[in-house]
Amino acid sequence: MRVLACVAWLLAAAGGMAFIVNYEGRAGHAGETPQQWPAQKLVARDSSRDTLVMFVHPQCPCTDASMEELNQILARAGKSVAAHVVFFRPANFPADWTHAGLWKTASAIPGLAVHEDIDGVTAKIFGAETSGFVALYDARGQLLFHGGITSGRGHAGDNTGESAVVALLSGHDSFVKQTPVYGCSLNSESCAIPPAQIAK
Amino acid sequence: MNPTLSEPAAAGAQSQRVRQLFAEQWQNTLRHTDRLFLWLMIIQWFFAVALALLVSPRAWSGTNSSIHPHVWAAIFIGAIITSAPVILAWRQPGKTLTRHVVAIGQMLMSALLIHLTGGRIETHFHVFGSLAILAFYRDWRVLVSASVVVYVDHLLRGYFIPQSVYGVAYASTWLSLEHAGWVAFEVIFLIIAIRKSLQEMLVLAERQAKLEEVNSTIELAVAERTAELTREIIERRQTEEKLRASEAQLVQSQKMEAVGRLAGGVAHDFNNMLMVINGYTSMALQQMEAANPLRKHMEETLKASDRATALTRQLLAFSRKQVLQPRVLDLNEVILGMEKMLRRLIGEHVELHAIFEPALGRVKADPGQVEQVILNMTINARDAMPGGGIVTIRTANVSIDQKTSFRNRDLDIGEYVMLSINDTGIGMNEEVKSHLFEPFFTTKGIGKGTGLGLATCYGIICQSGGDVRVYSEPGSGTTFKIYLPRINAPLDSAPASDSGELSGGDESLLVVEDDKAVRAMIVSALRECGYRVQEAGDATEALPLLDGGAHFDLIITDVIMPKMSGKDLYDHVKKNSSLIKVLFISGYTDDMLANSGVLDEGGFFLEKPFSPVKLARKVREVIDGMEEKTRHRRRIVTPD
Repeated sequence: MRVLACVAWLLAAAGGMAFIVNYEGRAGHAGETPQQWPAQKLVARDSSRDTLVMFVHPQCPCTDASMEELNQILARAGKSVAAHVVFFRPANFPADWTHAGLWKTASAIPGLAVHEDIDGVTAKIFGAETSGFVALYDARGQLLFHGGITSGRGHAGDNTGESAVVALLSGHDSFVKQTPVYGCSLNSESCAIPPAQIAK
Repeated sequence: MNPTLSEPAAAGAQSQRVRQLFAEQWQNTLRHTDRLFLWLMIIQWFFAVALALLVSPRAWSGTNSSIHPHVWAAIFIGAIITSAPVILAWRQPGKTLTRHVVAIGQMLMSALLIHLTGGRIETHFHVFGSLAILAFYRDWRVLVSASVVVYVDHLLRGYFIPQSVYGVAYASTWLSLEHAGWVAFEVIFLIIAIRKSLQEMLVLAERQAKLEEVNSTIELAVAERTAELTREIIERRQTEEKLRASEAQLVQSQKMEAVGRLAGGVAHDFNNMLMVINGYTSMALQQMEAANPLRKHMEETLKASDRATALTRQLLAFSRKQVLQPRVLDLNEVILGMEKMLRRLIGEHVELHAIFEPALGRVKADPGQVEQVILNMTINARDAMPGGGIVTIRTANVSIDQKTSFRNRDLDIGEYVMLSINDTGIGMNEEVKSHLFEPFFTTKGIGKGTGLGLATCYGIICQSGGDVRVYSEPGSGTTFKIYLPRINAPLDSAPASDSGELSGGDESLLVVEDDKAVRAMIVSALRECGYRVQEAGDATEALPLLDGGAHFDLIITDVIMPKMSGKDLYDHVKKNSSLIKVLFISGYTDDMLANSGVLDEGGFFLEKPFSPVKLARKVREVIDGMEEKTRHRRRIVTPD
């Protein structure tokens, strides 16, 4: 009887852990990212080097991991890339809402330009619908990579997206051009889509 | 037993006690560790919830937010993980299942915390820390359970969702082994530490067992020595008690001896004086006319002399210095012979019942003394019932199968004749009972009793080889039980009664008496009876007469005399002529005759004081050879 109870307990705990793993592995919605640097006023492309843009929801706890990964990428890439972080800010929300923890973290990273994207207009142009979305363009404005740079929601550590960006910034080619994005939705109407539908 | 314990136990021939101590110590460790994890699991759960609230309180979708799934996961999944280990550690600490569930739960908690912290590498140290704490159990199997959880987690996730654990879309199975290898690395050293720890526990158990054995040996020695000392103390106390009893007996004996000597000394001289008074008074009465007005005075003098004689005999009796003349008796006959006198003495307000054993055994005792005892005790019974009551005299054959003591005297195992005298009177308390047989102790008030009655009885009974027991409670009456040794012998014939007639003769007699007045009275009485009498003032005066060839049919001699005793004179006479008869006369013999066997060898005895009639009859009996059939019958003396 005791053994059966323990087995039931083990199954319940395993089920709970499966729920968490499933949640962490559930990717955010992905939009249509232009292959050529789009025309917009918020972020300026650097024609002398690669340009990286990350779109962030300022309150998303999962994006801490993405910001940590970006910090590491920039540390490795040095001045070979112009990096920008674009923070979502609803027009009717106060600036403090945006200028919270992630904003401060991003502002502290050397060589990283921080921008406010009112009502997510620029994000829509780049097809960014999930916080932590990264788009990397080369000096000629050609899209090299787009997607997430974490292995799961809020999960830092080595992952396919981060490896691909590092390789591209190092002048190498990367087999991976797109990865799923794990984070909060930048858009209230968005809904999650299964990871299986994410193009690799 | 648990394999962890059996290993060191099997390594050598450990005693049962060592294994027991080892098991106890290990069980304590298990319980202690279970309690540790009970609280640790609860704290970790609260920590997980707090962490989730701090790191990821809410999930956002644009401008909308909701509670983050991590918060719910921390609360509910954390509760599930924590529940079983906590319940088991609380309810069943020390059990094998408990520690394995704790190990699994702890590893699951590590996984939860890692997820809640976004897979931070720092949080992975929780796994290694947990393994170290699980090693507190000192059970390597627990570490295996924990390691299996870690490995299975990595294996399953690496196979199904490699991105979640390795950050890549595809991971080799070997990768999970690599991760598990680091866990195994720590576990191997922890197992080595556990084995060393168990060996130390075993050494401690062996030392403890040895210490216990030494302590046990010491305690045993102490207990034996204590028991020995206790025995010695008890023996010493018993010896001291016996010594005290002996001392008390000695004091009592010395006291009795002193009283006896006093009584004897008084009796000797007093009897001689009484003898003179009694003798001459009797002789004077015989010569007086019946109408002589002085006759009444002489009779009162004779009565007073008799009372004085009785008192002297009592003194000798309780001091056990009187000369007993025992006969084989049937106590039923003795009591029957006394019935009329007893009824007269106790009065009409007291009933006298007698219950006789039909086949009553016989005893050897002085009938006069036995009558004295019965009389004394019956009168005491009467005095204890001033308002009337019942006196029951009972006889019975009894067997004593257990030795009992009373007043420092033992009543040995054997066959006895019991004579009990019971009354329905006021009874006695312990204080009175303890002094009951002491001379001059009386509860009857001044002038009503001398305090010699029961002392006399006790002396007579003891001198007859018997003993007495008293049973009494205040208000419940009193029973005296007298035990006399039962014998198998034919009854002796009853003595002839006093006739009052002087028995005379013309034989030649020698009277040896140091008291001149007594001698003169005896010589006078005997000459009146027709005997040819020569006299000597002591034995040394008698010897020339005897050695000079004079013929005597009977020598009448006092026992205690200066220079040479009557017994020595008897020995001298018997040496020269065994045919000469000797009649001893004495009021107090100082045991000279009682212990010498003279009376059994043909010596004769007449107790002083005696009347001329009694003397004449005794002389005649001895000369005629009737002594064996007609022993002197003692006069019954009215007690106090």
